[in-house]
Order: sequence, then C-alpha cells, then structure tokens
Amino acid sequence: MANTVKLMRSDVAAGAWTENVQSVEFKTLIDTKRRSIVPMIVIYVIGYMGLSVLAGFGRGILGIKVLGAVNLGFVLIAGNYVMSWALAVVYARISGKSHDPLVEIVVEKAYARGRLP
Amino acid sequence: MNLFTIGMFATILLVSFGITAWAASRTRTTTDFYAAGKGLTAAQNGFALAGDWCSAAAFLGFTGLTALYGMDGALYAVGPLVAFCTVLLLIAEPLRNTGTYTIGDVIMYRMRQPPALAAAIVGTIVINLAYLIPQMAGGGILIKLLFGFRYDVSVVLVGLGMIIYVAIGGMLATSWVQIVKAVLLLGAGLIILILSLKGVGFDPLVLFASAEAKAGPSFLLPGNLLKNPFDEVSLGLGYMLGLAGLPHVMTRFYTVPDAKTARRSVIWVMFLAGAFFACTTIFGLAAVHYLGPAALRVDNPGGNLTLPLLAQYLGGGKGTAGGDLMLGFVSAVAVATILAVVAGLTLATSGAVANDLYVNLVKKGNVAEHRQVAVARITAVAVGIVATLLGILAEGVNVAVLVILAICIAASANFPVLALSLFWRRFNTGGVIGGMGLGLISSVGLALIGPAYLGPKALWPLVNPTVIALPLGILGAVLGSVIWGRDHENERRFGEVTFRIQTGLRSDHV
Repeated sequence: MANTVKLMRSDVAAGAWTENVQSVEFKTLIDTKRRSIVPMIVIYVIGYMGLSVLAGFGRGILGIKVLGAVNLGFVLIAGNYVMSWALAVVYARISGKSHDPLVEIVVEKAYARGRLP
Repeated sequence: MNLFTIGMFATILLVSFGITAWAASRTRTTTDFYAAGKGLTAAQNGFALAGDWCSAAAFLGFTGLTALYGMDGALYAVGPLVAFCTVLLLIAEPLRNTGTYTIGDVIMYRMRQPPALAAAIVGTIVINLAYLIPQMAGGGILIKLLFGFRYDVSVVLVGLGMIIYVAIGGMLATSWVQIVKAVLLLGAGLIILILSLKGVGFDPLVLFASAEAKAGPSFLLPGNLLKNPFDEVSLGLGYMLGLAGLPHVMTRFYTVPDAKTARRSVIWVMFLAGAFFACTTIFGLAAVHYLGPAALRVDNPGGNLTLPLLAQYLGGGKGTAGGDLMLGFVSAVAVATILAVVAGLTLATSGAVANDLYVNLVKKGNVAEHRQVAVARITAVAVGIVATLLGILAEGVNVAVLVILAICIAASANFPVLALSLFWRRFNTGGVIGGMGLGLISSVGLALIGPAYLGPKALWPLVNPTVIALPLGILGAVLGSVIWGRDHENERRFGEVTFRIQTGLRSDHV
C-alpha cells in the first residue's frame, strides 16, 4: 500500500511539501472531506447538546408524554442513539466511497511528481 | 459469595493469564509492547475499545443511576455513544496517521519542542491517575465483598493482576483481555435483557409505566440527580469532547495497521458499546419494576449493586440456584471488567512515562530498541505499584470526584490541545502549555471546591465544572499561542502535517 510507506522527514525537502499541499487533488480531498464531515458535526452537536440543554433548562418540555409513560425526553434520548448509529453508517459509506479513492489519487500524484521517495 | 463465582472467576483468571503468556512470546519490539504490533483487525480493536469504554462505572453505574434517578441515568448512558461521533469524524483517523504510541507523540510531531511534550505528559498522567484510583478502589471493594478479603489485600490483588497483564504481555495481552471481557459483558447484558423483557411480554413500555407508577411521577423527568441545570450541560459537553482526550482509549487506535481500520473499529465500538449502554437504561427501569424503588435504596451506595441484584432476581431470587448463578456471573464479569480497564490505563500511563518522558524528553530518542521495551516493562510495574498504593490510600475517601475530574480534564485540557494541534496552523508550544495549564487548573480547582468533594459546604454549585473549564481551556490554548508569538518554522511545517494527517503518509520520527 502506497500510503503506508514509511519515510523520514529529512528525505523530502521542505519545499516539496508546498507543492504537494497546494496541488489540485489535495485541495479536492480537503474540500470533499469538509463538505461531508462539517454537516455531520453540526447534526450531532445540535442533536446532543440540544438534548443536554433541554435536560437542564427545558425539563417541562422533556416531560411531555408521547407514548404511554414514555415522555419526549426518552424519545430524544432514543433519537440520539439512532442519530449516532446513522452517522456512523453514513460516514463509513461516504469515506469509503469518496475519501479513500481521493487519498489514493493524492498519494499517487505526489509520488509521480517525484516529491516522495 | 458462592462456588459458581469462584469457579467463573478462576476460569477468567486462567484464560487471561494464558493470553498473557501467549502474548509475552510475541512481544519483542516497542511497537509490539505499546501497539500490539499494529496488527489488530477492525473487529478486534472494536471489541477491545468496547472493553475499555464499558468500565464498571458504566455498566454498574449507569444501571444504578437509572434505577435511582430515572432519566438522568439514561442521559449518562447515551453520552458515551455520542462521544464516539467526535472521535469518528475528527480524531481517530488523524491520530492514527500522526502518532506512534501515545498522544504525546502527536503533540511532539507537530511542535517538536520539549515544553509542549512535557505539558502533554502531565495531562496524560493526571487524567489516567484520576481514572485509575476510583477503579482500583472499586475493584478492591468488589473483591472484598465477593471473597471476604481485607480491603488493602483486595486492592493489591487487583494491582497484581494488572501488572502481570501489562508488564509481561503488553498491548497484545491487554487488548485480548479487553476482547474476552467485552464478549463476557455483552453476553451477560444480552441474557439480562432477555430475562428483563420476558417478564413484561417483551414490551419495554410496560417497564416505563411500571417504573413511573412505583417511583413517582417525577421519576421519568430529568434533574433528579443533576439538580443544577448547568450540570446537565457540563455532562453533555464533557462526554462529547472528553472521550477524544482520554489517553487510554485513544492509544487503541495505534494497534491497527491504518486509518481505514481505525475508522472501522470506531463503527464496531459504536454499535457494541452503544447497544450495551442503551440496555443499561432498560436494566435500571427493570430493577425498579421487579425489585421496587425501596429495596434498591438498601445497602446500595450510588446504585452500584443494582445490576447484580436484578440479575439475582431474574435468575430466580435470593437463595435459589439460578439466582446464585446469575449473581456469581455478573460479579465475576464485574471483576474481569475492572481488571481489564485498569490494565488499559496502566499501559497508557506507562507509555506517557517510558516513551514520552524517558525516551523522547529526557533521552531525546537516543535509546536502543530492546532497552526501550525493558524500560516500558519496568515502568508498567512502577505505575502499577503507585496505582495500588493510591488505591489503598483511597479507602473511605470520596473518589467519585475523580471520575468526574478525569472526563472534565480530558475535555477541557487534552481535547482542545489535541484538536488544535491537528487542525490549527498558528497553534504552537505556548498554546499547548496555556491550554493544558488553564484547562487542568480550572478543572481540578473547580471540582475540588464543588459539591462532589466538599458536599454541602461546597464553595460553588456545579458537580462537573466542564461548562466553565472547557471555555477556559480553549482560551488558554488560543491566548498561549498568541503570547508565545509566531512560530514560523512550525507554521511552515503545518502543510506537511496536514498532508500526512489526511493521507496517512507515515513519518516514524519522533
């Protein structure tokens, strides 16, 4: 595997990294990752911190009965389990399908450019 | 105390020492010792992570908290799963791509300045000891209860077990002990879940209704345990960011060959541990339903005996063969859990002392490979002895504050420093010192003057100070970086750091 090759820092001149980092394919990788990861972070931070804030300051709201004795609080707790598992599955899928192939392209091109040993 | 417990416990010990002997013959290099040769699969590391993360505090504690305090217990249980979202999306893969054995490696890789590493070492050791001492004390109390030994003898036995696992078998033994324990724990959980639901016709709604009817109308509302609203917010913040700063959990990502495997192991732990945590809420409600709230408050400090009591009831009740069997099973699994978790903590602490402090800080990396392994083993023994002594001294001391403290420091000091090291160009050594210093001091200071330690005489109202300590930690990191001044060499290297973080091109320097 190309991306597990070990190399010493001193093997590559500092300037070479600038070229690798500023390459189009590396920028594409970063943009792609950012576009998928940032929305997921927003979702779980709002989902989970929203629950925590309501647990502190919205106790009446969480006490609203939804299904038998089960109140909104427990529904939101269950929702947090489902949300976390869903994000895990979605992230695994996106990173496998779109991030990993991009990483391979970035590494291949860096080698082709002769900037890595 | 019954024969089944002894038999079960002896079997677990035999298996774990067998694993240790097998691992010893495969542990030669530092990579073997700290990172199990980086050869674990995603499923293996996922189970081991579940073993690390489902401590006795989690499986006995969450059940007990739900049984005694209702929804607050369920809020305690869901956080540790959401915490893995942070690890999955932000930390696991970059960490695997930059460090070698420890969190200190990551900081040193980015900063290359000894004071930054020193700050990281202090953070790791304080968090690990804060986590270790309550576990040692809990293990001591449990063994004392099960076998009738004196408390100090019981703690020494726990210490001895963990020292053998870690010093002889290194990360490979520690990982497999975790895997075995995780399988046992999940098995026990599944049996208790089925038995709990069988009594109510597999309708969990009955448990909610019954618990509410028996324990009162406010039981299913938040705030029964965490009275101060800000404590609920602190709990959430501490979990969401603290896990990613816990050294003994994070070092698990070095045991796999690459970032993809690290990612898949997080998915494994999220389903394994998450499902288990969800079950603790059911167990807590089932305990109220079957045993009644009054019975649960007798000789049950903090609710920690709720799950063993529930298991005994479900097995047929006190004095029956089935009841003894279930009680013995759960007790043996609880001891196995504590042993496995303290082993993981001891190993992570040894890494900070032997790898970060001795090899990288004092000797600047000039230590021969075989000597590093020897130093690591000796350190593991030393850390184990210190932890055992502290565990003995902790008898009768309120150690609950330490559990809160560990997660609070991890969120307020370690997490900002780790995240900014990975993602902020202008972050520098001053920022590491500022973030670690202010995060650590504010966490410790506020926890010690709060109700967890001082009780009713508390000088400030929050049990868990994360809601204040975390912003202070971030402020310390940012201000520290600004005051330290621009570190141009560091900023120039940030491109390379980012490239390696994102692609996994390794640099085995440090």
